[in-house]
Amino acid sequence: MATFDAQQGSWTASDVMHFARRAGFGVTPEAAVLLAAQPTSTVIDAWINQSANMTAFNAALPKADVISDSVRGAIPADPAPHPFRLEGWRRQSGIPIAQSHFAWRMQFNPNSFQEKLALFFHQLFATGAEKVDNTAFTVKQINLFRTLGTAKFRNLLLAVSKDPAMMVWLDTVLNRVRPGSGDIPNENYAREILELYSLGVDNGYNQQDITNLAKALSGWTYTPLDVQADPNNPQIQRPNDATFRVNTNFHATGSVTFLGSTFDIGAPSDFGDACIAAILTQRGANCAAFLAKRLLTFFVNPNFSSTALSDLQAVILAQNFDMKAILKLIFKSAYFFDGSNRYNLYEGPVAWTVRMSRMLCPDLSTATVPSLPSFPAWRAVAPFLENAGQAVLDPAGPNGWAEHAGWINSNTARYRGKLAAALALGENLTLTQMIFPSTVASWFPTPPTSTQAVFDRLAALLQPAPIPADIQSTWLNGLWTSGFIWDSSAATQAKVRELAFLILCSPHAQLH
Amino acid sequence: MSSRRQFIQTTVAGGAALAGLTACSSSSTSSGNGGSPPPPTPAVTGPILVLVQIQGGSDWLSMLPPTSGANAGAYATNRPVLAIPTSNLTDLGGGIGLNKDCTGLDVIHAAGKIAWIPGVGMPNPNLSHFTSTDFWGQGAAVPDGTGWLGRWGDAAFAPTDVLRGITTTSDIILMNHGRKRDFVAITSSAGFSFPAYLRSSAQVPDSNLLKSGYAYSLSNPGTATDVSTAASEGKLFYDAATKFSTAIAPRTPTVPYPGDTGYAIANVSSQLSSQLKLVAQMIASGIPGQIYTVRLGGFDTHSNQLADYPRLMRALGGSIKAFYDDLASINTTVNSQTIKAQDRVMVVGWSEFGRRIKENNGGTDHGTAILSFALGNMVKGGFYGLGYPDLTKPDSNGNMVFTTDFRSLYATILEKFLGYSDSKGILGATYPTLGFL
Repeated sequence: MATFDAQQGSWTASDVMHFARRAGFGVTPEAAVLLAAQPTSTVIDAWINQSANMTAFNAALPKADVISDSVRGAIPADPAPHPFRLEGWRRQSGIPIAQSHFAWRMQFNPNSFQEKLALFFHQLFATGAEKVDNTAFTVKQINLFRTLGTAKFRNLLLAVSKDPAMMVWLDTVLNRVRPGSGDIPNENYAREILELYSLGVDNGYNQQDITNLAKALSGWTYTPLDVQADPNNPQIQRPNDATFRVNTNFHATGSVTFLGSTFDIGAPSDFGDACIAAILTQRGANCAAFLAKRLLTFFVNPNFSSTALSDLQAVILAQNFDMKAILKLIFKSAYFFDGSNRYNLYEGPVAWTVRMSRMLCPDLSTATVPSLPSFPAWRAVAPFLENAGQAVLDPAGPNGWAEHAGWINSNTARYRGKLAAALALGENLTLTQMIFPSTVASWFPTPPTSTQAVFDRLAALLQPAPIPADIQSTWLNGLWTSGFIWDSSAATQAKVRELAFLILCSPHAQLH
Repeated sequence: MSSRRQFIQTTVAGGAALAGLTACSSSSTSSGNGGSPPPPTPAVTGPILVLVQIQGGSDWLSMLPPTSGANAGAYATNRPVLAIPTSNLTDLGGGIGLNKDCTGLDVIHAAGKIAWIPGVGMPNPNLSHFTSTDFWGQGAAVPDGTGWLGRWGDAAFAPTDVLRGITTTSDIILMNHGRKRDFVAITSSAGFSFPAYLRSSAQVPDSNLLKSGYAYSLSNPGTATDVSTAASEGKLFYDAATKFSTAIAPRTPTVPYPGDTGYAIANVSSQLSSQLKLVAQMIASGIPGQIYTVRLGGFDTHSNQLADYPRLMRALGGSIKAFYDDLASINTTVNSQTIKAQDRVMVVGWSEFGRRIKENNGGTDHGTAILSFALGNMVKGGFYGLGYPDLTKPDSNGNMVFTTDFRSLYATILEKFLGYSDSKGILGATYPTLGFL
């Protein structure tokens, strides 16, 4: 397990920024200096424990512009079960609202790790909102990641299996086997929980295991709670919440063999839970290797060595799948902070956009909470996320998105450029409101004295991989053709914004 | 490869192919026999391939089911609820029917312009959507992160030919990854310009500076791989957009597509038709695309198949038929010759796998062999390959045993349609070609 031995000694602001880019959505250079003055272990423990004060965030959330004017203010404060239940089930409007809500939380949550981990588990347990067709369910699942993301993985795996969005997404609710009938089970979820959510393709199971697990999970469904009529289609009743239950009329009984053990799936004390638990007890090493791959790819190094993989697998087993303990060990390790693991990972488009908005836009303490113009209009951005490569909350398939190199192609380059324009160039949403409100003055606490100082400050904020000096000078000479003046003129502002745009579009800024 | 060829010929001679099916013709071209074979003559001048990904694993036993013989009996037994009734089938002869919901393909079949290849698959099939899609994409024995079309693009496209391989999906599947370059993704003709704002189509002011950054990253030998990859994708978009935006012209289709006002059937998805409409617009505008890949999703019918499958069939058949008809009105220029687009375009359908022979309670689970089809004026219609799978003899998981290797389909496209002789160089081995071209 040597790979994950703790980093020794103090850390630097640069280390803090690396950590915050991976375990959150970045910190400003000023925040990094403050955090670097504290012991590494103290900061990382607090970060993973999500110890930051949420009062202001919770107060702001119901007033954010992720929801329409008519219902803003009528939403219960977070953490309520479904913060925008009032229109969660409106089919057409629900998905972009939920996407905006998630992105808004990523931008402003003082415990950014909560959202980054939710994004990790959303990528793992990718569930598509379009098929689920109930935004309240989609949000409920993301909340599950927030509440159980640092718990033991076995608890999360079972909870996700009983989650209503997942049960709709992969047809668990339609997996019906009448006891003693010989009905063929629907094996959609049984296959994907093994292939995509716990073991990896063909890693320790066979077709018979899939079929028998499908039998064990037959009859799993939910009871709708708090049903409301859709105001657009009053004849349609949509649940705002649901609770898991087993419909014994459609639950197979008898014994099945799964991963080499025999289970009485008709026993009311079980009804299939034990089979899901068996994935970790019978195939713990396979599951640990699977999880290790996913964690390394998302947080550390997509081109991990076999040693790093086996060492993290051993850590996971030694920590008995306790995600909080595992994540702390990863982020405190010398391996994580090694120079070769910096800027070796393309950032996903949603995390990338969020991080840049955190760097360029006012934070909650500066923004006037209830006023609309204080918030980026994520609802204007949401429709572009699919072309940027990540229709967050609505992946096309249960395998989520191809990470790292999968984020980068000519089409995503096109849309990252567009997002960069909205972020840096101050593109307007309305005549008076920017999509991502920002002021150039707020980017420069100290007035720069040279074009190079402008670049250096923007690079410190946006934190691209090192951009070669030749590129820097080409840009600076191209923008400031007749000497450097720092003032509040529109011309100066435009040059600074263009430079920020060039940095955001650079290949270097796609890495984090 | 002689043993493989012998096996195939033996299989055909042994009568595994059903009556009405034409055995594949062995390729007369091969790069495995030493020396440089003469380039094969492509079936058409200026061939354009449109590859339709039928995503999710199509239950083609509901598209082209057996209507007589032992297979029909097995079909009825295994599909007590989902079997397509004969009343909803167009008889294609040979004990096979075509689902009437697959609108329009019956007409193309009657015109003798569609080749059906049932039972296409691979040894050791994988029932994972994603692994199987990658197998189909890589099209070679040894995975190296590239796909067969991407590798062909590496060999056939000049570096400046950035618009010859195009996908209308926002992602680039493995099939379209080359060693040197990926296909370009064009999801809409509007706003495909570089670089523009998010909501406004106005151009940002400093594109030359942006381009210079890409160029530096690509020319500097010290550039890290990840940086040069992102730079080359950025430059690919820049180069493609520069050429595309000057060439693309507005176009109104000459026939209604599914989803259009005036289309005969209401409420048909425009997911595929909108992509094919864009392809027609690109062809009409003289965009030099030679390979277009498009996608229709939703075929993972574990449940609700009775309701969903007709809808999927209407979108698939209707969109392709409208596209085929629309192409008749487009004149293109190849080497100063005027050629009707309909005479250049071949549409080929594929899916990552077929589905289980025996239905579950409302749907079908993942299976194996697929139905492929090739359609166009250059196609000799009929049935090809090594036969309809024997539904009475499934594998140990209850799935169909494939009859025709998927790389035979690829070899046919490469050699006989695209006129590329070294299919072995792309596919890693020599595969017999099929006789539909």
